[in-house]
Amino acid sequence: MNSIRKNKVFMAVLYVLVFLLLAEWLTPVMSLTATAHKSLFLIFIGLGLVMALARVPWWISGPVKIVYILWFIVYVYTGQAFFSNSSIVFLWSDFTANFIALTSQNWAETTDIFRTVLFFALLWMAVYLIHYWVSFRLSIFLFYLLTVVFIAVLDTFSPYTGDTAIIRIMVIGLMLAGLLHLARWIETHRIPVRIDKIAVYIIPLLFMVAASTAVALYLPKAGPIWPDPVPYITSFSGEAGTGPGTIGRIGYGVDDSQLGGSFIGDDTPVFRAEVEDGQYWKVESKDFYTTKGWRVTRNAGDKFVYGNEEQVDTDFTPGDPEQETTALLSMEQEFPFVLYPYGTKSFLMNETPDYEYDTADQRFDTFFEGEVFEPELYEVEFSEPSFSLTALQETSVEDLEELPAEFDRFVQLPEELPQRVRDLAVEITESSDSVYDKTRAIERYFSNNNFEYSQQDIPVPEEGQDYVDQFLFETKRGYCDNFSTSMVVLLRSLDIPARWVKGFNEGELINSSDGRDIYEITNNNAHSWVEAYMPGVGWMLFEPTIGFTGSSDVDFDLETGETTLEDVEMPDRPDPLQPEEPEVDAAGTGITGPTFRERLNQFFTENKAKIVWGLIGLALLAAILFKMRSKWLPKVLIPYYRTRSGSAQTFEKAYLRLLKQLDLYGIKRRDGQTLRSYAAYIDSFFGTHEMSRLTAAYEQSVYGGNSDSVNWNELKESWENLINRTSG
Amino acid sequence: MKAQERLEQVIDNIEKVIIGKRNIAELSIVAMLSHGHVLLEDVPGVGKTMLVRALAKSVGADFKRIQFTPDLLPSDVIGVSIYNPKDMEFHFRPGPIMGNIVLADEINRTSPKTQSSLLEAMEEASVTIDGVTMQIPKPFFVMATQNPVEYEGTYPLPEAQLDRFLLKIKMGYPSSKEEMEVLSRSQISAPIEDLQSVITLEELIRLQEEVKLVKVDETIRSYIVELARHTRTEPYVYLGVSPRGSIALMKASQAYAMLKGRDYVTPDDVQHLAKFVFGHRIMLRSEARYDGVTAEEITDRILAKTRVPVQRYVGQ
Repeated sequence: MNSIRKNKVFMAVLYVLVFLLLAEWLTPVMSLTATAHKSLFLIFIGLGLVMALARVPWWISGPVKIVYILWFIVYVYTGQAFFSNSSIVFLWSDFTANFIALTSQNWAETTDIFRTVLFFALLWMAVYLIHYWVSFRLSIFLFYLLTVVFIAVLDTFSPYTGDTAIIRIMVIGLMLAGLLHLARWIETHRIPVRIDKIAVYIIPLLFMVAASTAVALYLPKAGPIWPDPVPYITSFSGEAGTGPGTIGRIGYGVDDSQLGGSFIGDDTPVFRAEVEDGQYWKVESKDFYTTKGWRVTRNAGDKFVYGNEEQVDTDFTPGDPEQETTALLSMEQEFPFVLYPYGTKSFLMNETPDYEYDTADQRFDTFFEGEVFEPELYEVEFSEPSFSLTALQETSVEDLEELPAEFDRFVQLPEELPQRVRDLAVEITESSDSVYDKTRAIERYFSNNNFEYSQQDIPVPEEGQDYVDQFLFETKRGYCDNFSTSMVVLLRSLDIPARWVKGFNEGELINSSDGRDIYEITNNNAHSWVEAYMPGVGWMLFEPTIGFTGSSDVDFDLETGETTLEDVEMPDRPDPLQPEEPEVDAAGTGITGPTFRERLNQFFTENKAKIVWGLIGLALLAAILFKMRSKWLPKVLIPYYRTRSGSAQTFEKAYLRLLKQLDLYGIKRRDGQTLRSYAAYIDSFFGTHEMSRLTAAYEQSVYGGNSDSVNWNELKESWENLINRTSG
Repeated sequence: MKAQERLEQVIDNIEKVIIGKRNIAELSIVAMLSHGHVLLEDVPGVGKTMLVRALAKSVGADFKRIQFTPDLLPSDVIGVSIYNPKDMEFHFRPGPIMGNIVLADEINRTSPKTQSSLLEAMEEASVTIDGVTMQIPKPFFVMATQNPVEYEGTYPLPEAQLDRFLLKIKMGYPSSKEEMEVLSRSQISAPIEDLQSVITLEELIRLQEEVKLVKVDETIRSYIVELARHTRTEPYVYLGVSPRGSIALMKASQAYAMLKGRDYVTPDDVQHLAKFVFGHRIMLRSEARYDGVTAEEITDRILAKTRVPVQRYVGQ
């Protein structure tokens, strides 16, 4: 019976609709769990449906899906090439870890990868079930109903908004249900399947769906009869406030031991600052360079505890008291410390916390009654430090040798540091005399030597490779971490004490009134820069990153003109690239989540179109090749069978292959049709006698059990002739 | 092949008398070669008797004819022992059954008692009278004719007895062109009178032995079994084909393969004969009769849906 289920076009339409419906399931799940790679999951679903549609046997589709899952894991969690030793090692170690965790019932120790696999298994099951519903039961209503309930519940109880999704689902679901009903109707009434007839049947369905959707959209809608149930319910549980399912907050990363890699922007606000002028907001500094990143030397300094409005003592003496000003910071994200501008005098907030200053990393941690405290709103009193150019000019290299031992950690360098880095530092500073001039020479070096500011395609140093060396001599592309770390290392190689500072830059000016500006600082404004010690003067801020304007306020108190020229370097700098989002939430500055996920995110967003289109292209190509196989297969088969031995076995295989080809060509053999009558038809169709000749030989071989009589070499020509016709 | 040529000659010979019924002639020979018997179902006057006579003449066989009437007794068929006053002994006088080729005309006109006596003789190829068993000479071939069952005054053959016939054939009317040819040939004298035998009885017996050697591959056997099994599950069918029917189909196919000059059976042979072997073995439900479905149609349906084996049999 010519079943509607065998109509590939019709079934393909159904499967596309099913795919769209499944995508609607996936969307809220992905967004609520903050899971990335939605498209890769969609591809998995699509792959499953396509294979189900093409009736790919399980022993092919199963392994394909498993390989896809493994590839996904390797790609997403390591970013390595799939076919490599390390990825196999990675998979194996993760497998054993999870296996041990499961067998010892330590559920919490199972890794994300395990959960990813479970999620894939769920998707696999869902695809299978729906394939079953659509292909065998010709019924989808239950799934459709569940989808509507699912979206409605999520829309009500979670941050997910299903306003447009519900419309899409209604349209897709009605189409699907309507088409399946049509299919069932055709089957029960045994109506011959003709695609043009089906198209005619579908027109009223399309019309009805379109009309009902349009009417539903334009009808006036009554307001909700009940208040939003969520606050109502939470009021009962005594837990008013944020509902469940809040999207994961990005935490403050403190691990800078592995710098490098690309990033994408993240404009999640971190805080707002009301100040007269934009400031660099310092969080902390790091002193120990590991060839890959930064660490803090623990217990290297002393801790001082200050109270509200108490004068704090940082390494930067506040400037002119007349310039004193205040900054009001309101935090959007909570950190257990305060951010402070250069020249900070004191902090003030409504609560009365302790501000614990650690000279090791110059961070002000906040505690309230001994507990870690996360400030929300506070005021900082500060006056920008100013430095005398005269004094700076007098900083001499000899003074560096007399610095006390506590400065040793600021000239620390790993022994593996390549010599060419040291040589470069010497080369850059050859023509400068004072420590200050040398430092400025290094600061300026990057803007004049073809360095490029970029957040994308920034590599992570490989095993045995130095982060700074890679940037200075190989890539010459990077963002703040590259520039600032390189400058610190170059300075240290000249024994100039320097440290790497993390914090935020000015941010975006969003409002201005009464001479006070309001800046919004987002994760994009996370930044890193340099502090260097000028002997006899003190610590100073330097900004080597191209496009950034942070600097120490230098008092041009010199009488000689020549040096002033040198100092007016600001115009030499290139304009800021994008002042509103100049810096990234690099791992180095540590404001965002795990680095490699960001990197992959970025890679994926950048190449999403390419990947999707590439895969679609590949799938299309495969589909076309499969569809066209009757055209090209003979070209493969003929040389193959030409080389085979002339045994009866070869002949039988070749003959069966020919039957398949003829079937593909469009001359189908009915179930009850004998080879002989089929051969007669083929011969009358092509005007040959060859099929009957081959068939007689085949019959003799198979039914007659007389394979010796078959001479493949004699029959070959007839066979080739026929199989060639099928490709015509 | 020699056998084929000889058989072709027989068929050609019959065709001289029966015009346009080559297929019927072939089937008759198939039945004869595989030790079977034929049930011809048709209205009188379409040449049933002529066919059998032509066949008998062509093989040089002894031809007997029994006209079945309602008052026919079994002894009228198989013979009777008559007391001879001269030597004071009973002498067996063989009935018309004791021939090589017997035409049992209008078999469904007689009582079941007489019918069964004939059918027993067909099955056993021997008759027993007064405790003495007598072999019927070989070859033994019965061609029974019956009027379509719907006619009045008939005793339909029971299922078990129908099973004894290898094939059931319907002659059908000749086409008008063929009928004109019949008229022209019969104008002067009946052509049957001039018919010569083309094959001896000994040859026929040898061919009957040869037929048994025609190869039936596993694939073909499985195909026959599949066909038989399908008859048992058809919704309209009350009683499907028995294993005896499967055997009949296989044997007939062997003979047909030989007739076509092959020493192996192909699915085409099976398909060609299935209708004639199964036609009288499928008992239909009464619903089938209301819906106008015949056993032949059911057979066609089964042939269309049963997958023809095209690959070497590998077991299941």
